[in-house]
Amino acid sequence: MKKSMLLITSLILLFILAACNQDKSSSSNATGEKTATEKKSENTLVVGLDDDPPQLDPHFSTSAVDRQVFQNIYDKLVDINEELEIIPGLAKKWEISEDEKSYVFYLEEGVKFHDGTDFNAEAVKWNFDRMLDDSLGLPRTSELSTVDKVEVVDEYTVKIHLKETFGPFLSILTDRAGMMVSPTAVEEKGADFSNAPVGTGPYKFVERVKQDYLLVEKNEDYWGEKPKVDSITYRPYSDENVRTTNFTSGDVDIINKIAAKDVETLKNNPSVTVSEKEGIGFQGVYLNTTTEPFNNKALRQAFDLVIDRKAIVDVALQGTAIPAASAIAPGSWAFDDSIKVKETDIEKAKEIMSEAGYPDGFTFTLKISAKVVEEQIAQMIQSMAKEAGIEVKIETVEFGTMLEQMDNLQFQAARLGWSGRIDPDGNIHSLFRTGGSINYGYSNEKMDQYLDAARSAVEQKDRKEWYKKAMALGQEEVPYIFLYHESDYKAYKNYIEGFEHVPDQMMRFKGVTVQ
Amino acid sequence: MVNFIIRRLGLMVVILFLVSIMIFSLVHITPGDPARMMLGQEATEEAVEALRARLGLDLPLYQQYLNWAGGILQGDFGNSLKDNTPVLTVLMQKIPVTIQLSIFAFFISLLIAVPAGIIAATRKGTFWDYASTTFALSGVSIPPFFLGILFIYIFAIILGWFPPSGYVPIWEDWKQSILLMVLPAFAVGIRLSAEIARMLRSSMLEVLGADYIRTAYAKGLLGKPVIIGHALRNALIPVVTVSGLQLATFLGGAVITETIFAIPGIGRLVVDAILTRDFPVVQGAVLCMALAVVIINFLTDILYSILDPRIKLSGGN
Repeated sequence: MKKSMLLITSLILLFILAACNQDKSSSSNATGEKTATEKKSENTLVVGLDDDPPQLDPHFSTSAVDRQVFQNIYDKLVDINEELEIIPGLAKKWEISEDEKSYVFYLEEGVKFHDGTDFNAEAVKWNFDRMLDDSLGLPRTSELSTVDKVEVVDEYTVKIHLKETFGPFLSILTDRAGMMVSPTAVEEKGADFSNAPVGTGPYKFVERVKQDYLLVEKNEDYWGEKPKVDSITYRPYSDENVRTTNFTSGDVDIINKIAAKDVETLKNNPSVTVSEKEGIGFQGVYLNTTTEPFNNKALRQAFDLVIDRKAIVDVALQGTAIPAASAIAPGSWAFDDSIKVKETDIEKAKEIMSEAGYPDGFTFTLKISAKVVEEQIAQMIQSMAKEAGIEVKIETVEFGTMLEQMDNLQFQAARLGWSGRIDPDGNIHSLFRTGGSINYGYSNEKMDQYLDAARSAVEQKDRKEWYKKAMALGQEEVPYIFLYHESDYKAYKNYIEGFEHVPDQMMRFKGVTVQ
Repeated sequence: MVNFIIRRLGLMVVILFLVSIMIFSLVHITPGDPARMMLGQEATEEAVEALRARLGLDLPLYQQYLNWAGGILQGDFGNSLKDNTPVLTVLMQKIPVTIQLSIFAFFISLLIAVPAGIIAATRKGTFWDYASTTFALSGVSIPPFFLGILFIYIFAIILGWFPPSGYVPIWEDWKQSILLMVLPAFAVGIRLSAEIARMLRSSMLEVLGADYIRTAYAKGLLGKPVIIGHALRNALIPVVTVSGLQLATFLGGAVITETIFAIPGIGRLVVDAILTRDFPVVQGAVLCMALAVVIINFLTDILYSILDPRIKLSGGN
């Protein structure tokens, strides 16, 4: 009896002790950063990311979360703003030749990398040569495949020659292909560069403990407008509930990606600002056009007609997305409202199936990755299809396995989307062009013609016409079922000012202040 | 005893060798290509092939194994495929975290379980027995991740006593480090404490009915020395087995708890490495876990002989 009382008392004491301790240092969190109340004196920022960035070398990077960190360590030749306009970066201006095959970039002068290396035309050439080196197996190589050679005109002028006209070229330079890394640092560190990245950006890399934190500090010698926050700590919270909890309970100042279910709650929180931006990507279902049953166009069309996109958006995504008609989201200049979201039409679907010799419907397997929302969407699709007699078997596959199976065309249908690129080419050309980088088995000669024409066309309005044709053909051919365009959400504390929500979903903290 | 130790050390080497072959094969037969995972869904086939060649993934499997195992014998666990960090460096970052959490959780579980088990056994059939048994049953039934979320909600969000999650090394800021560990350690430890308490109760009851206890009482010894000195010591043997095994499990990393509390331990490392097919990291980490299990089992055996001198650790036949 006495013993148990002692135990209970000691446990209570432990908690009280902890509570007192916590009171004394009530505003310090895991990293010792100050939270809400003392924020004014402690000029730092804690960012909650949706994952641990796998790669800090932009030329090797493939993951979206890497790019969040890159925005502040590296500068790009050109950038985009909230209106998706191309704006100067390390290149203060540029000229495009008459034939659109060469680009002259005039660089900012006097810029230095964080390690003191000069940034100049030689450095730009070195960066492009690295990205174009086939032997390195870099993901950038294919993005820049139209680049023929890079010529140093003078110390601060560089001319890039293209093999053929390539409309999306500038927009590609607003992402990782336009990020300049320090040649000396790469040559010194070799493969270890990713653990100590050096750029010209407003923040310098300090240190990182994987899966714990990544710290960058203000670059006092920054060439542009000086950054205002002293240091930024990135923390990975792969679980969305954990991320939101750490945000609302005061440790984290700004978070990337909010679960659909939390959007309303956070919007109602008076000390928090929720920023919403229409997404530039698309989500949907790949149909394997090389094998049964979807090598039959009629069956693809029938399946497309049974889906109620609005229901999926309202129920599974709680209104955090909009129904999709094509690979091009409404925010893009190439969006065309004559391409309409498919209306659900069960009767017509049945009719098409009977004409194609499948009056009783058909069966196929839909691969999805293991996430609650994915399962909800798949189950909704399953019950919608059932109304027309189409039986959908759901198979949950781990993401890496799914990618490999899709590469090898071992699937009938697979639920996979695309985060999107600011130029439509990065969405629709990649998806529908034969051999496109996110195309799994679909090939159509007419489609290829349209997309290649759009890519090499010079005028935007010509490109738009070609994209319109491609989108219309896509709706008729249905190699991919477009479901929705996801909106992008960031949430931050009200003491953060100057945050610009750029449609590429990347957080730039150059102009951000903490009040 | 010396023979025993030598024999066990020899066995440990054999076990680790077999484990290394198993991990290596398992990791490599898992579908999903590391080069593809690194380059992402948009990479071309040629780029994937080039990367595979650069990472040495195009070599025959046995050769890859020999390279890896040979490296380990020289203290080189290889480098992460993702960013070239030496695996040993990554492990050295993660292992102390997991050890700290394990020790905290283990300490907390003993602190709760031993008194609870003794009380339940010595007051069999009373309120205290039922209370302790109910606690044990619910402790075993409630999954740690649920307790974790509950703890964060109550103690971090509502009461604000503890930070919700995170980790600071104990040598950097010991106070903050302990505060951050309390909730996760309880979330993991309560389950173990429940298991130990149940085990201790039944083994105590058995021992308390034994002849030598009755003799001790008959000799006129009072309750406490008998219970602590005679009964507890003998009742502890099965408890030590359970605790040892559980501690080994802890060292394997409590993946979900680590995720909920954003603790950068070995569990999360392994899951992350598996999902991105970072083979050398998976192999190195699993081998480390295997080593921990083997060592703890070894120590458990030695602890037996200390608790019960009748158990002789012999070096074979």
